[in-house]
Amino acid sequence: MLRIVKPKNARSKRALQAREAKEVEDPRVAIFVRGTHAGEKVTAVMKELMALKRPNAVSFSKKNLVRPFEDASSLEFWAKKNDAGMFVVGQTTKKRPDGLTFVRMFDYRVLDMCEVGVEGWKSMADFKTPKATPGHKPLLHFASELFDTHPRFIQLKSILMDFFNGEVIDAIHLAGLEHVISVSLGPTPASLNATTSTLQASSSTAAPAEDLASLPAVHIRSYTIRLLASGARVPRVELTPMGPSLDLRLRRHTTADPEMMKQALRRPKLRKQEVEKGLGKKRKNMEVDEMGDLRGRIHVGKQDLGKLQTRKMKGLKPGRDEEMADEDEEDGDAFGAEGDEEEDGGRRKKRRTA
Amino acid sequence: MDVSDILAAHEAKQKAVLVEKDIPLEVDSGFLTVTDLNTIDAESYEADLEEHLISTARDGVQTLIASLFSLPTTSSPDGPLAQLPPPTTQLPRAKPLPKPKPPTKWEQFAKAKGIQNKRRDKKVWDEEKQEWVNRWGWKGANKDKEVQWLTEVPANADVDYDPAKAARDERKARVVKNEKQHRANLARAEASSSSSDRKRDIDRTLAVTRTSTASLGKFDRKLEGEKPLKGVKRKFEPTEISASQEKSQNLAILSKLGKGPMTKKSEKSSQSSGGEVLNVRKAIRTVSKGKGSAALARGGSTKGKKGKR
Repeated sequence: MLRIVKPKNARSKRALQAREAKEVEDPRVAIFVRGTHAGEKVTAVMKELMALKRPNAVSFSKKNLVRPFEDASSLEFWAKKNDAGMFVVGQTTKKRPDGLTFVRMFDYRVLDMCEVGVEGWKSMADFKTPKATPGHKPLLHFASELFDTHPRFIQLKSILMDFFNGEVIDAIHLAGLEHVISVSLGPTPASLNATTSTLQASSSTAAPAEDLASLPAVHIRSYTIRLLASGARVPRVELTPMGPSLDLRLRRHTTADPEMMKQALRRPKLRKQEVEKGLGKKRKNMEVDEMGDLRGRIHVGKQDLGKLQTRKMKGLKPGRDEEMADEDEEDGDAFGAEGDEEEDGGRRKKRRTA
Repeated sequence: MDVSDILAAHEAKQKAVLVEKDIPLEVDSGFLTVTDLNTIDAESYEADLEEHLISTARDGVQTLIASLFSLPTTSSPDGPLAQLPPPTTQLPRAKPLPKPKPPTKWEQFAKAKGIQNKRRDKKVWDEEKQEWVNRWGWKGANKDKEVQWLTEVPANADVDYDPAKAARDERKARVVKNEKQHRANLARAEASSSSSDRKRDIDRTLAVTRTSTASLGKFDRKLEGEKPLKGVKRKFEPTEISASQEKSQNLAILSKLGKGPMTKKSEKSSQSSGGEVLNVRKAIRTVSKGKGSAALARGGSTKGKKGKR
């Protein structure tokens, strides 16, 4: 357990503030951890993944006794210490050779995990092609219907999206799109075609072996993009392999605790600016209330009180007014004698006579 | 005029940038992600893996680029920026959503009075020096009275009256006051966030621990001034009620019977809507002898036990 630090100077205060939860989050920082024995292959793969993830990547160069599926306490400790939201743990054992475990954190606790085995890989250096600038945002491409139907692959897609591209941005420079990371699966086996609907998200290690073997392989490729003039507004795209390329197989996993997932999926209330954002022009007399509803103020002009409908009475009917008008003149003298009501006499007389 | 040539040329241009698939690709421009939900073609996959992967990726990226290039743009010094829509995929957050800060006492007051928040600059213009100086802090303007070489002294001042010291004391007192208010605001924020829940939790835990001994707390040493535990006060309906009331109560039970077992949610809603009817859940339990409404609805089987009542 880390002690609660109270900032003593402005610098540490700023550092602590940067760690606080934000409404729009920074991209997750990934820590690359080597297990007790990582092996050449996994170490190299982790290095390549780190090259793609940079600058939001931290490398642990020493070996660590860590088994994420059995005890996640050290991951939680490191997450807190480094303010990291993700882990990639590399571990090679006889039973599970060349394993990479992607661990996602929420509030410095483990949210979900997914283990993959590296079957084949090719380094970035093996492709003698131009590379993307480090730190540029990649495009992501997922190909297979299983990314929509199979719980394991839905989770994998979510984790990989979080790993490569988890940041919400509001604008992007189109010329800066340099590379794409493509994740495709092998052909869907017949067993999965029919049974995907009944297949449940089996938790962690309980998944039977033949089930895992039947899952198609995952191919991760990265390509640089060349935009060629096509004559239309949209350019034509050509891809050049950039590396690294990985062939993976799914292994163990844990699903997220539903309550924790619910917490993690909470969205901030719709921001005022977003709803107000019309098509680039400022809109007057409109505001957004706390519920996110747009409220407008309209100007209705000056009201003509002369036309106001007051209480309806027999005596005030317009039809009778004209009828009375001639009678008034006759009565006028008689009432005038009683009091001095010369000016407004007409109206009052009408009422009396009615 | 024959436009067929122009149309054909346009078509050819479009062909290079258009992607046609059985299932249209799902594009999430907010995350720069495209998902191709078409089934993987096993034949081309077996034939040449890399070629197959690059061609599907190209199709996907072409679609994504097309949707990105159709977004509205704004100009910037580096070139046009495409305005991305908010992402449609929901990714879990890394940290919980921050809670809004409770308003300080001043903010509450300002809101009640309709006082607009005015931002005070850190620098103020010094007429004498003809430059901007800090409002407070190093060479701050609030220390002017303390450092000026000549100060007016009121006529009724003490003999040992030190105007510089008086000004400094006053300033220090303001700082102390502000700190006190700041602390009070923090304390209020703390209290408003969780105190009532916490107090209830502590009370409940205490009540449980007091009855958790072998003697249910009977032979425990009492502290001085410790109040005896309050149990749940039981309320009973009067035995004699008017016929109409009794009828309505029984009808309420009947209406609940057909509905099957109660969930937590429906229970809550029924309590909020018709609280005054009676404790229906308890009534069902009593009538069905703890077997629930389903058993009661089946009926008949309870016959044998009737004599026990």
